[in-house]
Amino acid sequence: MKLGWKLFLGLSIFYAIMTVIYYGVGGEAVGIACISLSSGLAALIAFYFWFSSKRTGGILPEDNLSGEIADGAGDLGFYSPHSWWPLPVALSAIAAGLGLLIGWWLTLIAVGALLISILGFVLEYEKPSVDVDAH
Amino acid sequence: MTTYAEPSISTGALPARIPTKKGKLFVKWVTSTDHKTIGYMYLITSFAWFLIAGVLALMLRAELARPGLQFLSNEQYNQIFTMHGTIMLLMFATPLFAGFANVIMPLQIGAADVAFPRLNMLSYWLYLFGGTMAFCGFLAPGGAASFGWTAYAPLANSQYSPGIGGDLWVIGLALGGVGTILTGVNFITTIFTMRAPGMTMFRMSIFTWNVLLTSILVLLAFPPLAAAFLGLESDRLFGSHIFDPANGGAMLWQHLFWFFGHPEVYILALPFFGIATEILPVFSRKPIFGYKGLIAATIGIAALSVSVWAHHMFASGQVLLPFFSFMTFLIGVPTGVKFFNWIGTMWRGSVTFETPMLWVMGFLITFLFGGLTGIILASPPMDFAVSASYFVVAHFHYVLFGTVVFAMFAGFYFWWPKFTGHMLNERLGKIHFWTLFFGFHLTFLIQHWLGIKGMPRRYADYLATDGFTTMNTISTIGSFLLALSMIPFFINIWISRNSPKVTVDDPWGYGCSLEWATSCPPPRHNFLSIPRIRSERPAFDLHYPHMAHTDEGH
Amino acid sequence: MRMNRGLTTALLATAGVATLSSCSSSNISGLGYEKGLSSVNDVSLSLWQGAWITAGVVGVVTAILILWPAVFHRKKSEEFPKQTRYNVPTEVAYTVIPFIIVAVLFAYTARDESRITKVTPIAQAKHSITVNAIQWSWQFTYDDAHAGNKGTITGTPAHPPTLVLPQGEKVRFTLTSTDVVHGFWIPAFMIQMQNLPHVENHLEFSANKLGTYPGRCNILCGRNHSQMLFTVKVVTPAQYQDYLNTLKAA
Repeated sequence: MKLGWKLFLGLSIFYAIMTVIYYGVGGEAVGIACISLSSGLAALIAFYFWFSSKRTGGILPEDNLSGEIADGAGDLGFYSPHSWWPLPVALSAIAAGLGLLIGWWLTLIAVGALLISILGFVLEYEKPSVDVDAH
Repeated sequence: MTTYAEPSISTGALPARIPTKKGKLFVKWVTSTDHKTIGYMYLITSFAWFLIAGVLALMLRAELARPGLQFLSNEQYNQIFTMHGTIMLLMFATPLFAGFANVIMPLQIGAADVAFPRLNMLSYWLYLFGGTMAFCGFLAPGGAASFGWTAYAPLANSQYSPGIGGDLWVIGLALGGVGTILTGVNFITTIFTMRAPGMTMFRMSIFTWNVLLTSILVLLAFPPLAAAFLGLESDRLFGSHIFDPANGGAMLWQHLFWFFGHPEVYILALPFFGIATEILPVFSRKPIFGYKGLIAATIGIAALSVSVWAHHMFASGQVLLPFFSFMTFLIGVPTGVKFFNWIGTMWRGSVTFETPMLWVMGFLITFLFGGLTGIILASPPMDFAVSASYFVVAHFHYVLFGTVVFAMFAGFYFWWPKFTGHMLNERLGKIHFWTLFFGFHLTFLIQHWLGIKGMPRRYADYLATDGFTTMNTISTIGSFLLALSMIPFFINIWISRNSPKVTVDDPWGYGCSLEWATSCPPPRHNFLSIPRIRSERPAFDLHYPHMAHTDEGH
Repeated sequence: MRMNRGLTTALLATAGVATLSSCSSSNISGLGYEKGLSSVNDVSLSLWQGAWITAGVVGVVTAILILWPAVFHRKKSEEFPKQTRYNVPTEVAYTVIPFIIVAVLFAYTARDESRITKVTPIAQAKHSITVNAIQWSWQFTYDDAHAGNKGTITGTPAHPPTLVLPQGEKVRFTLTSTDVVHGFWIPAFMIQMQNLPHVENHLEFSANKLGTYPGRCNILCGRNHSQMLFTVKVVTPAQYQDYLNTLKAA
């Protein structure tokens, strides 16, 4: 993870320097905006990686030069075995785009379908957090 | 004490074919969350688009073979080259990267899948439907988009290019672009968070490194494109004036488009450089030469690629020539350095020329030529002579086709046993290579001269008195030879279904990265056991422990 | 061996075909461009030649390096070759040398591009022509004719216009468009610039040899982009004045 934030921070600083140089040689608004925003995006990612690496602390097995495969043994996490939800999300997005050409009614319906599909997608593997029969 | 993992169980224990009904197979693929399946879907779809765009190219070349408009109108010609470029760049080459990266990268880092498997599939659907939407412009009354894949303002607005073909193009590509951005996020997350123990960043394969840096470029380049497309569509549909020339719209579009457009060509190049870099060590029986230097060069390219975009705009008269030509010359240096890494890998190796290696050689020779013409174009005085002519068409086909297509076939022949459990036939592979190599160079080499002699790009026609006829006819003959070269490939795929099953993890013998330490094809979650990782060649170290090199760690 | 011979033959054959088929009256040493045709050629041609020679040398050397192992480092036995992973002096060399090459190219580039793009202020320009690009032809306004509308000639795709230029005298061009982006390109003069709507681009050069030369639009501008041609006719300064007078009189 250490390399993660260093890579993005390095890119962010490079892009920032490039923004200044481009501005200094008389560059134009679009380039200045795009390069500086690129620097911002890289900085955002760098910060997130730095923050996460501080939280996880220590050396993760994958960053351990002497890491043994057994270090990663155990539960690898949940992998969705198969899912229908990506398809309706995509279809709704496409329909919403098409609706711009065909008619507002389609866009409206498609945006509704999109919201429902996104909810379905995100909540697909959620289990109830509280045992509703507890009390 | 050594902890050791046995080599994975080969597929010999499983039935050769799993009987399923076609419907069940369809559902299995459509609801898949397996990065390998999704990767295959990307590869198959992109290859289909490659063939479609190739047919479009044959139509262009057939029209240009002789002066006069023989079977296409001006408007149809414009639609065809617009869609040829759009499909090749955004529906073939970019998704092809997603395809190869999806199948191979998680295997190479020892992961069980990507970080967001369902998002992965969402990206695929957005690509499939978005691309199809753009292509459906051909069904519209006014035809498909005809303003070039570069869609310059104000030509691309509703006044100069009316008709829903243009709108379908913009909206379809914008949605497909969202899919690509999500893929970039997925790959970066996977690489940073799902590597196997011991798989440090500097033990990752070069292909994986290139996938990482490509994904970063995707995050930087596709949002400006999406923004530009939203603005363009807003102008077209709602009458806004974002790209109105009176507001400086012509230059605004060029800047935004090329800020995307230049990193896009590195997005197209880097993964395929990565494929070549995977193949060279295997068939040279030596490690990659200058591994860290290669990574440094690639990071250099990723960094510099945000500062060169206006070399596509030298002739606009409105950009800083010295700044952009300097940056463009500069970015040529790391690209050139890579050549010497590749040469150094083969140097004093023990080289054999199975088909994948042949394709890599084709890539090296072709990209060398294309890169050199790029250095010529990086200089504004020389760019003023040949910009927007067939010289540029030749240049970008040399670099793009030379990289993407040659490395694609290299990757297919190399990883076919890993994907399918069967080897492709070597003899047919060689026929395929040589026919394509001849056909490609016959088509495009002469176009350099055509551009110098003054033929502009995107011209449907030319006069008999122009002196372009012979060169165009030769180029057309080459293009049909190039097309014919696909036939041995199709035959090869068909007959390989019945070739003997591969029973070992590594049929090539000297595979370096982790995908060669699992079965052909791999199990659902990739590994039944993973070998210890102590270098950038874990599979090689596993199969040749006496040759194993460990960097630090023990 | 077989593979290498095949590759060499292939390259030679294609190069041969390409060169033979395009033999024309072009000046070979100009590598496609003629010396002395315009002030731009005078500046760019040496850079063009130098760059191609450099590219040629780099290309041939690199190609030899690529093909050398293909011929001489083939597998001879089952023994592994030395597993060299890096060599710092070599890596430094192949980073520094390309950097020097591009630095030199850039130095000449910077010098030449400033010479090509230099434009005298309008008040001091001896000759001035406005080039307005339209869908799908060209409007040339000879500002020094001071002839108002009569000083403008407009072409059509069926009748491409002629741009008359005085030999050896600098002409200052103002390039613009009233619709979409077009490209003003005179291939023989190694020069082009875009015609942008609502923008005035400026270009200045002199045409130095009598004759006619093709001109073409090279930025996609819609349906009849391929027919948006013009002819450049370089005449003596006296004939140029006569031409301006005929415009005034017309």
